[in-house]
Amino acid sequence: MKGQRFSCPVLVVQGLVISLLVLGCGLNAFAQDATTTEDTRLFDTAKIWIFLAVILYSATVVYCIYHARSGKELFIRRIPGLEAVDEAIGRATEMGRSIMYILGLGGVSNVATIASMNILSQVAQKTADYETPLRVPCNDPIVMNVVQEMVKTAYLNEGRPDAYNEENIFFLTESQFAYAAGVDGMMVREQPAAVFLQGTFFAESLILAETGNSIGAIQIAGTDKEHQLPFFIAACDYTLIGEELFAASAYLSREPMLLGSLKGQDYGKVMIFGAIVIGVILELFGITWMTTFFQRVR
Amino acid sequence: MRRQVPLILCFAFGIVMALTEFSPHPFSQWLNEEIIDWALVIGPFALVLAVATLVQSHWTRIRRRSEYWQYSFLVFIGMASMVLIGIPGGQRHEAFVWLFRYVQVPMDATMFSLLAFFIASAAYRAFRARTLEATLLLAAALIVMIGNAPVGDLIWNTIMPFQDNLPSTARQWILDNPNLSARRGIILGISLGVISQSIRIILGIERSYLGGVEGD
Repeated sequence: MKGQRFSCPVLVVQGLVISLLVLGCGLNAFAQDATTTEDTRLFDTAKIWIFLAVILYSATVVYCIYHARSGKELFIRRIPGLEAVDEAIGRATEMGRSIMYILGLGGVSNVATIASMNILSQVAQKTADYETPLRVPCNDPIVMNVVQEMVKTAYLNEGRPDAYNEENIFFLTESQFAYAAGVDGMMVREQPAAVFLQGTFFAESLILAETGNSIGAIQIAGTDKEHQLPFFIAACDYTLIGEELFAASAYLSREPMLLGSLKGQDYGKVMIFGAIVIGVILELFGITWMTTFFQRVR
Repeated sequence: MRRQVPLILCFAFGIVMALTEFSPHPFSQWLNEEIIDWALVIGPFALVLAVATLVQSHWTRIRRRSEYWQYSFLVFIGMASMVLIGIPGGQRHEAFVWLFRYVQVPMDATMFSLLAFFIASAAYRAFRARTLEATLLLAAALIVMIGNAPVGDLIWNTIMPFQDNLPSTARQWILDNPNLSARRGIILGISLGVISQSIRIILGIERSYLGGVEGD
């Protein structure tokens, strides 16, 4: 993160110039070809409230990120699932067994997969330190390539490039249940001491989690799919619920700027909570404009 | 430069893609679809590398005679048969369709059907009434299960001559009120987390996905 304080505004300006060029040239080209039947409005006014809400929330997060640069200590509530990461890695090291990290079925453009990769980089740093084998079966070829690079860099940063084994991060299959079968087989054969299930999961979530449970591995799960959360809660030792998955990299790295974004996230929750409380009170008094307003927002 | 260029591109495309969501202009829609298509183009290149690692890892298993190394031959046989039939014959080739329909689909269905047994074992652990929370969970689960089965209403209506279809009504109340409220709370948290994470990535603050954590 060195030098980030200075590179960030430069990056923003350069990025904005490119964005404006792309939009400007494209709009100009399209304005000449546009037919009268097409909707040529630049902005969908029906989405104005969503747009304003996104701008307000984004501004809050950005403010909190840059405010956090002052180095002021921020209170972050304890997340048991993330506290247990060290315990899981330590257990695997003591038992002399491997750690299995499963990124789910999401592609590289999936935000939950990116969040999972960020957790993986923190885990990889620790496994590099402890020389614990880290096995990552991948479902997506692009994710596999990115993960190989990330884990390699994590090992390099820890001064243990020799401990990095590229064969441990490999592609299994893109098929959902074939992937579940492959990972289950590996779990049963290799008996990893710790299993991380972080990312996007669908019907295979319980198949993987129950197999991990049956081999007695300590399991830490987290997903953005709320339908799969009950399965993880039932079968895993720790589960990251909702936004905890996205808070993980900040929580584990303790980087002030990343922690600042968590503060912004909390302000967002306070805003929504406030709106819900006010809405309920107004509804109790028979005042319905707020409910009607939110129902119309799309 | 190795870091700077991807970060600038990430910022530019992040902002552009976010703006296209709010614009019905034909260019905006075209740009959105075009960028998604660009992303799809990367896939086949990465797939070559991925298949290479798959072949390499199974070949190593065979060479080292690792545990259950014989199964690695099945991987090569499966891969070779699909490729040798699929590439010259195309997706609609009779043998290709047969392999898909009568080999791959039944195997997928077999794995999926395991879920029923895993649900039973997970539910047994989760519903053991050891604490107040687990007892509440058990009670809610019983009501939902009875309400879901048509025979639940039939039994209730036969033995209790009041409040027709109470099990299905109670089930619907549980799903529409406590269940939906909890789900929406989680969804709100996830949505805020996604936006926050996206901002960190777009601004280049979260950059470990680029292959570096510290000391960039």
